[in-house]
Amino acid sequence: MKIAVMQFPGTNCEHETLVAVNAVGMKGEIFRWNRPAAELSGFDGFIVPGGFSYQDRVRAGAIASKEPVMDALREEAERGKPIIGICNGFQILVETGLLPGTGKIDMALAQNVMVSGGRVMRRGYYCDWVNLRHDALPKRCSGSFMIDKKAILQIPIAHGEGNLVTTTPGLVDRLKDEDQVVFRYCDPAGQVVNEFPVNVNGSTESIAGICNPEGNVLGMMPHPERAFFAWQLPAYDPRKARPDDPGPGRMVFESMKRFIEVRA
Amino acid sequence: MSTTSTINLRVWLKIPDAEAATVKNTLIRRMGFADSLQDVKKERLFSIIVDSGDPEKLARSFARELVNENKESHKVLFDRLSFEEGYVPVKVALHIEDGEAVSTRDRLRNRLGFSNVVEVKKATVWKLYLKGENQEQVAKEIAEGLLINPHKDSYEIMGKTKMPA
Repeated sequence: MKIAVMQFPGTNCEHETLVAVNAVGMKGEIFRWNRPAAELSGFDGFIVPGGFSYQDRVRAGAIASKEPVMDALREEAERGKPIIGICNGFQILVETGLLPGTGKIDMALAQNVMVSGGRVMRRGYYCDWVNLRHDALPKRCSGSFMIDKKAILQIPIAHGEGNLVTTTPGLVDRLKDEDQVVFRYCDPAGQVVNEFPVNVNGSTESIAGICNPEGNVLGMMPHPERAFFAWQLPAYDPRKARPDDPGPGRMVFESMKRFIEVRA
Repeated sequence: MSTTSTINLRVWLKIPDAEAATVKNTLIRRMGFADSLQDVKKERLFSIIVDSGDPEKLARSFARELVNENKESHKVLFDRLSFEEGYVPVKVALHIEDGEAVSTRDRLRNRLGFSNVVEVKKATVWKLYLKGENQEQVAKEIAEGLLINPHKDSYEIMGKTKMPA
């Protein structure tokens, strides 16, 4: 089961992602953006990891989305293969039109705006551990295939532009109706509160991750590869005392593997 | 009765601009504009609206705060915006709230004491050096194909003659 971990100039999470892919029993390989794009057809799944591709020039994800490898990824997505975009990878998939999946740019991940009590508390880059509620049904989406609905995962974020905005009429309602809203920011009890610090970036309806209509392409702002092992968890989390245990982010990679097995 | 003035600060790098180079490279090598595009340059544009004070004196003060003379050059225009011949200027700005513009306004007003600053608008001006016919149409295609995400950005193709800010 071969997984291509995409690498653009400025990607900086490819090695952690590769470790996570290999640790669940898939065979990961870093795939540089300037390799022949046709070679992507030999892989069973793809991860577009986080970082700052092309230094976020023009806007996050815009330049990478024009690379030939992204055209090839679009073809692989049409074949039903799983693609997971994490953080900058999510931004690239949005700029490519692979998410929310209409083939055109239907939304933007804009600058974070942290609002509380009607006041802007801060803007821009922010990193913290967040709670994510899985809002899709199990098996709806490649990257959350094995995650129960309403399950809560603790996963870190680190981004400046994760605020989902759209001028497409009815898009968010359609995403909800079609079960394409996969993850939402929530409090430790699973309640979605559309205010900072629960909604960490001002994203519309606290949306943290979405999938395409077919469910094989997932984009999420939080970094599951940074919560793959329990030892990566923050000091206040009691699970850190059992460092060899799996971390909550592992389920995303286990899900991808299971999705590929079921699809085969 | 107070009257407002708009101080436009056009700011550009005097060292090579890597972002403009990347845009040029992407347009030519990835997006099929090799026959129509010669070069791309970029400027930052601050439009600072003030309700009192000597605009020329204020412009010098704002430039000291917002321009790093070690690497940047600038040009000031009062109550108008104009561009040189030879390229198509495409002004890109956020149509959602621009946090950087708000922060700049607040810093100028609250931290640096320019209480006469009413509003700050920020934009990027992409200077597209095009060849051939239909340059405005080509600029439109470039703007919509790469320079903006319509869900947060808007763009305006600026004339080469004097235009209101």
